[in-house]
Amino acid sequence: MKKILITLALLAITAVTAQAGPEEDRMAFIKYYKAKFPSVPMEEYANGVYAIDPIGRENWEAIEEFPPYEPFIDAGQAMWEKPFANGKGYKDCFPDGPAMADKYPSWDKQQGMVVTLPLALNQCLEANGEKPLKYKKGPINNILAYVAFQSRGKVINVEVPKDDPRAMAAYEDGKKFYFTRRGQLNFSCASCHLQNAGLRVRTEILSPTVGHVTGWPVYRSKWGTVGTLHRRFSGCNNNIRAKALKAQGEEYRNLEYFLTAMSNGLELNGPSARK
Amino acid sequence: MKIKTVLAMLVLAFGLLAGSAAVLAGGMKADAAMAADAIAKAEAARKQAASVNGEWRDTGKFIKQAQDAAKAGEYDKAVKLAKKAEAEGRLGYEQQVSQSELKIPSYLKY
Ligand code: HEC
Repeated sequence: MKKILITLALLAITAVTAQAGPEEDRMAFIKYYKAKFPSVPMEEYANGVYAIDPIGRENWEAIEEFPPYEPFIDAGQAMWEKPFANGKGYKDCFPDGPAMADKYPSWDKQQGMVVTLPLALNQCLEANGEKPLKYKKGPINNILAYVAFQSRGKVINVEVPKDDPRAMAAYEDGKKFYFTRRGQLNFSCASCHLQNAGLRVRTEILSPTVGHVTGWPVYRSKWGTVGTLHRRFSGCNNNIRAKALKAQGEEYRNLEYFLTAMSNGLELNGPSARK
Repeated sequence: MKIKTVLAMLVLAFGLLAGSAAVLAGGMKADAAMAADAIAKAEAARKQAASVNGEWRDTGKFIKQAQDAAKAGEYDKAVKLAKKAEAEGRLGYEQQVSQSELKIPSYLKY
């Protein structure tokens, strides 16, 4: 009898794992990181690697006193306010104002895909006959910096709607990407940011996945400018000698969907500065 | 690492050794046709890896270098680079196919 019960219990566990939804996944991640970093309060995860790297943090706090991303916010505000050639502007596409970063990424039932903030901004441009912006470098970061700044303090709350199975499929797809090993080095996102979070790789400490999406766009000293989340995805793929996929392509959008759900409950604090 | 991947790597490594050994032993020199053939195979393997989002970072670069070498008449070099690219393409493909099912690592407890 005992044996049967144990077997049943084991079966139950496997079943939960196989069908775990976003909230179960997030709880598992949090449980894992709490065991690894018991003294780090939950809200600290929004600060990325500086939640777990006290030395890097001192440096970072000094940098944040004169934020290197400030000019980009100003440039973004000018973009937000400047009318397009047809007289309309971002304001017409987003009537609730620029404090909207918490609304993305979201499942768009009509388009049948995950819509991220950069994609929504470009769809606004295109709908008004303007040229879309490049997704990794350049002016998209200005408008993103402005929207991020206006959205500070809003709480991440990604939902995977139950009434459209394609939404869960997109989430699952992003989750699978996260756990899939790629490249010549045969690493997954999880190998570094979950299994080995807190360890040092060359000069950097590996940050936890919870909190990975709070601070975008990021001013990176190595870049010497502000860059997008998908630029970072490319970089992390390249580092393991995998060919990066297309910024804002389906794979990276679904990955962002999953990643953002893992940060549900954290406050947005972008733009931010990193090494 | 997956057994299959390891096997594929061994097979490839052995194949590469055997291939180059044959070229060396016979004192055989690669010619333009051999280079073109190796490059075509490499490109096919790269595309197959890309079809499952498994292309590695430098595979395309090696193919480009092989093409340049072939153009310069350096056929041995071209074949060597193309074989390297082909091996990468196969490994990248196999790497993705062997993980077609999502497996949550055991250290993550639900
Ligand atoms: C070889 C290890 C490695 C792998 C694999 C890896 N990364 Fe990274 N990643 C790093 C390092 C190092 C940094 C910089 C330090 C830090 O913040 O972790 C970083 C930074 C990041 C950041 C920026 C965090 C911030 O606060 O600015 C994100 C987001 C990120 N990685 C996502 C991913 C995703 C998604 C994947 C899988 C596609 C991935 N990484 C795979 C090593 C890795």
